[in-house]
Formats: sequence, C-alpha cells, structure tokens
Amino acid sequence: MAEGEIAIGIDLGTSYSCVSIIENGKPVVIPNEWGERTHASVVSFLEDGTVLVGNSAKRNIITNADNTVYSAKRLIGRFFFSDEVKKAQAVMPYKIIEGENNSVRIQIRENVYSLPEISALVLKEMKSIVENYLGHEVKKAVVTVPAYFNDNQRQATKDAGRIAGLEVLRILNEPTAAALAYGFGKEITQKIAVYDLGGGTFDISVLEIGKDVFEVLSTAGDTYLGGDDFDDRIMTWLADDFLKKCGIDLRLNKYCLQMLKEASERAKIDVGRDAVAHIKVEGICQDPTGKVMDLTATLTEAEFNRMVMDLVQRTFKVCDEALQSARMTASDLDAIILVGGPTRLPIIRTSVKHYFQKDPMAGIDPDEVVAMGAAIQAGSLMEAKSEHYLLDVTPLTLRVGTVGGYTDKIIDKNTPIPIERSKSYTTNRDGQDKVKIRIYQGESNKASECELLGEFEFSGFRIAYRGEVRIEVTFEIDTNGIVHVTAADVETGQKTTTTIRLSSGLTEEMIRAAQAKTAATQLARGAAA
Amino acid sequence: MDETFEIEAAALAQVLDELDYFQILKIGQTAGPSEIKSAYYRESRAYHPDRFYQLPNADLKESIGRIYKRINEAYVCLRDDVKRPKYLADISGPERQKKLRFVEASEQEMKKDKEQEIGTTPQGRKFFMAGLSDMAGQRFAAAERNFKMALTYEPNNPNYKAKRDEAGKLIKNDMTVR
Repeated sequence: MAEGEIAIGIDLGTSYSCVSIIENGKPVVIPNEWGERTHASVVSFLEDGTVLVGNSAKRNIITNADNTVYSAKRLIGRFFFSDEVKKAQAVMPYKIIEGENNSVRIQIRENVYSLPEISALVLKEMKSIVENYLGHEVKKAVVTVPAYFNDNQRQATKDAGRIAGLEVLRILNEPTAAALAYGFGKEITQKIAVYDLGGGTFDISVLEIGKDVFEVLSTAGDTYLGGDDFDDRIMTWLADDFLKKCGIDLRLNKYCLQMLKEASERAKIDVGRDAVAHIKVEGICQDPTGKVMDLTATLTEAEFNRMVMDLVQRTFKVCDEALQSARMTASDLDAIILVGGPTRLPIIRTSVKHYFQKDPMAGIDPDEVVAMGAAIQAGSLMEAKSEHYLLDVTPLTLRVGTVGGYTDKIIDKNTPIPIERSKSYTTNRDGQDKVKIRIYQGESNKASECELLGEFEFSGFRIAYRGEVRIEVTFEIDTNGIVHVTAADVETGQKTTTTIRLSSGLTEEMIRAAQAKTAATQLARGAAA
Repeated sequence: MDETFEIEAAALAQVLDELDYFQILKIGQTAGPSEIKSAYYRESRAYHPDRFYQLPNADLKESIGRIYKRINEAYVCLRDDVKRPKYLADISGPERQKKLRFVEASEQEMKKDKEQEIGTTPQGRKFFMAGLSDMAGQRFAAAERNFKMALTYEPNNPNYKAKRDEAGKLIKNDMTVR
C-alpha cells in the first residue's frame, strides 16, 4: 500500500475519543506524544486563536469555562428546540445559540461554530496524532457513532469528518465495531450481546458472528443515558448536602457547577475502583462574608449504588427490547462484551452478570475496543477484497408524515442495510406542481413523538389534473445508516428535483467554508495530563 | 475481480425486477429458516458492497448496490413468519408480476381505502349505500340520483364518481336496448 493510503479508525466519544490503525495485520491504538491513549473530547479556544483539544483542554473547563466546549456529541444533529439542547443550555458554561433552520450553534467570543465544526476539531486532533506517529498525512477514516444515532446525527458526524479534512469511508456503529474487534481473526460461531454504556449514550446490539460474517440481529438504545448521568446523581447529592450544611446552592454558579462536576466524575471513578470516594474540593465558593469554603464528603459504594440503581435498570429495559427484537432470551447468548468507561463500575458488571446470567468477557479494553474495530473496518474497506462482512441494521423505523399529525411506516427498525423502499403519491389538486413530504424516525405513529429528519419538496414533474400524476418516492438507507430520498414521475420516469426545506444539517457551501476555517485552525500542544 | 462475476452481476441487475425473493436468494419456495439464512450469507459474501468499495467501474458498483439491497429486502421478507406466507400467496396468484416486491399495506392506508370506498360522511355513506342497492335491483336511474346526492357530501370521493359514471352508462345502455 502506498504511503498516505492508510485509513484510520476513530471512536468519537461523548467524553473521550480514541484512534487506531492496522499495523502488521492487527489493530493498535495510537497514543499521543505523552503516551495518552484516550483523549477528552474537549475543545478549548485559547486567547491567541489557537485551539487545544484533548486531556489538556479538559483542564480548561474550569479556568477557561466560557471558551471550552465539551459533550458536543450530546448536541450534534439535534434541533435547537429539542429537550437535550434546553438541558445543555442550563448547565453548560459555553454559549449555545440558535442558528438558521432551527440548528444549534456555539458562540465562542465573536465566533460562531456549528456542532460538526466542534467535532471536526476533535477529529483533526485524532488525525494529527496518527500523522505525528506515522510521519505522513492521512486522509481517510472510519468514524463510529452510537448505534441508536438517527439520520441527522449520523449526517452531522459525517460532515464533521469532511470538515476535518477526512474522507469518511464509513459511519460505523460503535457496538458493531466492538463486535468486529472481538471476533476478528477468531474462528468462532457465537451469538453475542454488546452492552455499550458511554459518556452520553447507551447501546445494546445482539449479533450472530461466524467465521467471516458479523450479522447484527437487533439493536436498541437510549441517546439520553450515559456516564454523565451517573455524575449528575453524585452532583445533586453533593450540592443538596452542601446547601443543607452551608445554605449555598453551588448549582447557581456555572463555575462552582463545573468544579462540582469534575469532583463528581472523579468520585465515580474512585468509588468504582476503591469502593469509597473521599471528595474534597478546596475553595469551591465564598460565603456572603467572603470566607472561602471547601467541599468535603465521603461517598460509599452502597450509597452510590442506591443513587444510580434506576439508571442501571433503565439499561436493562433497553436490553429486553433488543433481545425481543432478535427473538432471543438472555440464555441464548454465548458472550457479553462490555464497552465504554462506565462499564468498569462494579455495579454495572454485577448487574450485567445478573441480567445475562453470564460473566462478561474479560480482556477487552472498554475504552479502546471501538476504535480498534473501526480500524479493522477501515483496513478492510481499503483492501480490494474484504475478508469479512458486516451485516448491520437501521436502529429506528423510518416514517413519512401523513394528515393530522400522524406518520406511516416505510422501513422497520432492525431492517438490514442498505435497503430501499418506494411509495407512490398522486397529486391532489389540479395543476399541482409540488409534492411535499416530511420524513421522521421513531417508534410512534404520532409525528410529534418522532424525530423529524427533514421536509422534502419535489417539483419538476408534469403538470396535470389531480390524481393524474403519480410520483414514486424512493427511500434508501445506505450502509452508513444515512437516509436518501429521491422521486420520479412514474409515467415518464423523469427524476424530479428535490429540495430539502427543513433540516438541521449544513449545506455544501457551509461545509466548504468550515473546511477552510478548520484547516487554518492551529491545534495547540498542551502538556501531559 | 474475475470477469465471469462481472458479467453475472450485470446480467442479474438487468433482470432484478423480474425475479421473486426466492429466486434472488437462489432457494426453493419450501426452504426452511436455516437454509434462508445460509443463502443470505452466501449471497452477502458474493454481493456485499464493502467488497467492491474500491471498484473503479461506477456502473457495475451501482448494479451491485441494487442487487444487494434486493438481497436484504428478500431476506427481511422470507425470514418473517407472517410476511412469508402472504408473499408466497401473492406471487403464486394471477398478480405475480405486480407483487414480486412485498407490499405491506399500512393500517392507515387500509383504513383510508375503506373510507374511500364507502365514504367519510354519514350522509354520503347513506346515499351511497342506497345507490348500491338500487344498482343491485337494476334501478339505474335511481342509483345515479343517489350517487349524485352522495357526491354533494363528498365531492372528491373517487369511488362515488366511478359508481355515478357506471350508473350513467347503464341508463344509456338501457335506453338503447329498448
């Protein structure tokens, strides 16, 4: 393979990201110059115009709070009016504003960034870690997303890759990537479940793997559930306790809130490792007389487990759904693979063991396995001939809007991709020159309970009396899980012109402008954490 | 890539719309679940788009993409205990050519069809039903009047219009015979 003709695998996480390449036929994680193998998905915009990404940027969440963006993945591909965005506005120290077409933008000083631009900076850092290691440029990548990501979120992630100067070979589902890394090179035939609890999202996928085939039987998830929610529980506990003791609500000040959040994340990790966490934050705030106050608390494992039990239970509801879709019970499974930092917690390990009646697989690094799977897939797409086949599915039912705020199913969830389905529409007015359809993803027949993907307008067909023109609309879900909609006049076969009227996505011009902006952005080198 | 495969794939893409799902997966109509699955794996091995990711021939790549989407479509239908018998009945019937691709009528569509048939307004439905009984009793002029009345309540109901026209024609025929 020629130099530069390498494709990298990137796990773009809510909290941490990781990058891997194939070396001597095996996936290896590439560390940065300080030996760090995972990198905080945090982007800090410095005064001098340079940008810091990774673990050194994470330290700026408190000192450079207004200009440091984290958990961007929670916002990517969402509309400004969504609940997740409202929630983020309340707790994030950086400024979240509304862009055109109900999109979300981040304002840093006088500059405005789209979410794909923020993620592009994280991807650019991953790219440069590999370039630094190899000594030459890389241009291609496979980027992973939660299996339960909808079309808007996938499209936005793909845009982020392009903005970072990468050709995105594939948007790959995180649990599928993990399964690939697990089964790669092993001659096994097994039914497995991948339990993926990340910083911001939860996914469960049930797969059947053979010697060269990886078939996803079902996938289910919750894009509003992750390790961050565990931190939030500790935060609430600490803040309530502090309020009771000192009469000050730490949550009212965004700086105190950040210190509280950092302490909570550390406490979660400590309690998972040592069964107890001693929390001490010096100088968290000042009382009305100006006296500097410290926060101290001790969190026991029992207390922690009580706080998060309902969150853990929520993951198993999702597991029930996935097993049911795969027409299986827990006992049919041969192996359970844990993915994501929070799965290191004993409460997760014991609950998973209890639910599946099986010990989860040992020897798999939950922080690195997804990036490794992405690297394997990247390598195989670069080769002329793939040695294995990923048979993945669409996680959500694709729907079209009908009258009265209802929707009609087009493609069921858990349908293997790529797939297409056509549907005929007729005009219902004389001389009608446009047909408008709204597309949704979700499991409810009510439009308001589904995620709107966009509104498409078709024109350029024959003008005739009502009912005379039949337009066949084709819905396709590609191998990336991304939806494409085209329409043609049935009689003439003439393809119509399509306009996307409502979409949170970026236009081609916006992407090109962002590419130039991102290419010109200097990534600052921080210090080792 | 070998040339025979290339020719085969191009030929298959040509006739795709004339094949039923059993033919797509190259299995008999009595194939059991495990046979369907292994056929699906076999065809995936041959036509999975990942294998042709670097293929320079865009036309062939597009054809393979179309074939593979149809393989997935066939698998989804045939592995399903509810869809499969309906599909088999569809393709064994006189409308085989139209039903080679499984069509699932949605609940809303079925409800809508039903409504279109007999009407959405109580008055429209009343006159329409009266018209139908006139038709059955060969009272075509009365039938036409009732269908016209029904249409005043639902002017856009295509079924009402069709019935009105049908009654109108029958009146004329009646007159010419006499």
